[in-house]
Amino acid sequence: MIASVEYAGDDLRVAMITWEYPPRIVGGIAKHCEGLAKALVNQGHEVHVFTLDFPGAPDYEEQGGIRIYRTRSEVGHPNFLTWVLLFNHYIEKRMADMSRLVDFDVVHVHDWLTAPASIGFKHFSKKPLMFTAHSTEHGRSGLHIPDSFTIDGLEWWSTFEANKIIVTSGSMKGEVCGHFHLADNKVEIIPNGIDAAQYESVVDKGAVRARYGIQPHERLILCVGRLVPQKGIEYLLHAVPIVARRRPEAKFIIVGDGWYRDHLEFVANTTGHRWRITFTGFIPDWDLVALTKSADMLVVPSVYEPFGIVALEGMAAGVPVVASQVGGLTEFVEHDRTGVLTYSRNPESIAWAIDHVLSNPGHAEWMVKNAREVVQKTYSWEAIAKRTIKVYKEIMG
Amino acid sequence: MSLTPLPQVPEEFKVLSMMNNIGAISPERSLSTDELSQWTEIDASTVKAHLQKLREGGYVELVDISGTQKYHLTRAGIMKVLTLYS
Repeated sequence: MIASVEYAGDDLRVAMITWEYPPRIVGGIAKHCEGLAKALVNQGHEVHVFTLDFPGAPDYEEQGGIRIYRTRSEVGHPNFLTWVLLFNHYIEKRMADMSRLVDFDVVHVHDWLTAPASIGFKHFSKKPLMFTAHSTEHGRSGLHIPDSFTIDGLEWWSTFEANKIIVTSGSMKGEVCGHFHLADNKVEIIPNGIDAAQYESVVDKGAVRARYGIQPHERLILCVGRLVPQKGIEYLLHAVPIVARRRPEAKFIIVGDGWYRDHLEFVANTTGHRWRITFTGFIPDWDLVALTKSADMLVVPSVYEPFGIVALEGMAAGVPVVASQVGGLTEFVEHDRTGVLTYSRNPESIAWAIDHVLSNPGHAEWMVKNAREVVQKTYSWEAIAKRTIKVYKEIMG
Repeated sequence: MSLTPLPQVPEEFKVLSMMNNIGAISPERSLSTDELSQWTEIDASTVKAHLQKLREGGYVELVDISGTQKYHLTRAGIMKVLTLYS
């Protein structure tokens, strides 16, 4: 049972709706919502997160002032889209229940998966709706199957119903405005943020590397992401033999999991350098931070990337970043100044960039310093929360 | 660079996806091989082989409920199957 919440003056009451929130982590949305919610609460606002249940996580909890409601679907259905509609129904019911206790000022939904609940609640509560479009179905996988057309339609509906849309990069703004035929002033760019303090801990790099089988003389090239085609990991794997010719001390660790993993392991087996490549699967956050800080570089070989928060994490962790010249990555990885950009879908280019970083340690150190400055100056959650509040207030009139 | 055509989603994902959508994410909501076979329209022996592979990967867990072997997704299984949709 949750007690009624007293109103605290000018501070806002935000209903945030997302299908993933820690510990339920699929991609970058969970971390985005958590970072934004924390920063909003730190600035004196109230945040109520409505999300799905997850084994071991309570139905309701407060974390550092963030109120988290995890809703269990009382019924499921084998069909994916029907399941989505069902969990939206239960989330909307929970929001309606809570609205008797809390007079929300704004409804903020992240991606299409929880849009039906949010749109329903917008009309029920008569509160403004903000929609953060983290990516589009069109960009993620094209529109090759009927489900994709339905998802594309739901995304369009979300942009139609939202009072304002937030995207995390200029590249996404172009994609969203172009694909959904939206007016330029309906879409606001507010980038992803990062909790740089998370990367300030001291790590025994030698011990971490040893735990992952990396010898002191070897070079650790790290890649982190969902194992899905748009992350472009197979292009990195095809770069392994080229890198190995120039850099026999190179070792590769791929962190993450996904439906594409079997195929990627098959590709790794064909390189002739399988022994250099480790697939870890999912690892805990604390271990990922330690591993990132212990790496010699982070490679982000994506072929589609609306923002690319993993590159920002590498920059915050103080490792040189090599990233594809696609999407949002090009907006904060400045070639040869804060990282190295490569041609997309191009193993030769990736191999060149890896060699470039390893061959020029002084220059790599300079890029790391520049990258850290950029992260601290522009991508703190505090700054991003302030920009988000400004948009909330705008749509509240 | 032209790579091999995009592979199909492996068939065991049909089992994982079904378990997620139907809510088999905790021991009390586990499903038997026969139930999974019916829902997925994959024959029971193939479902069993998929479940064995998924168990080895830590994506599903086997529980004994009133003498029937049933399966539910683990946290890693949920996170893995959701990569299909994001």
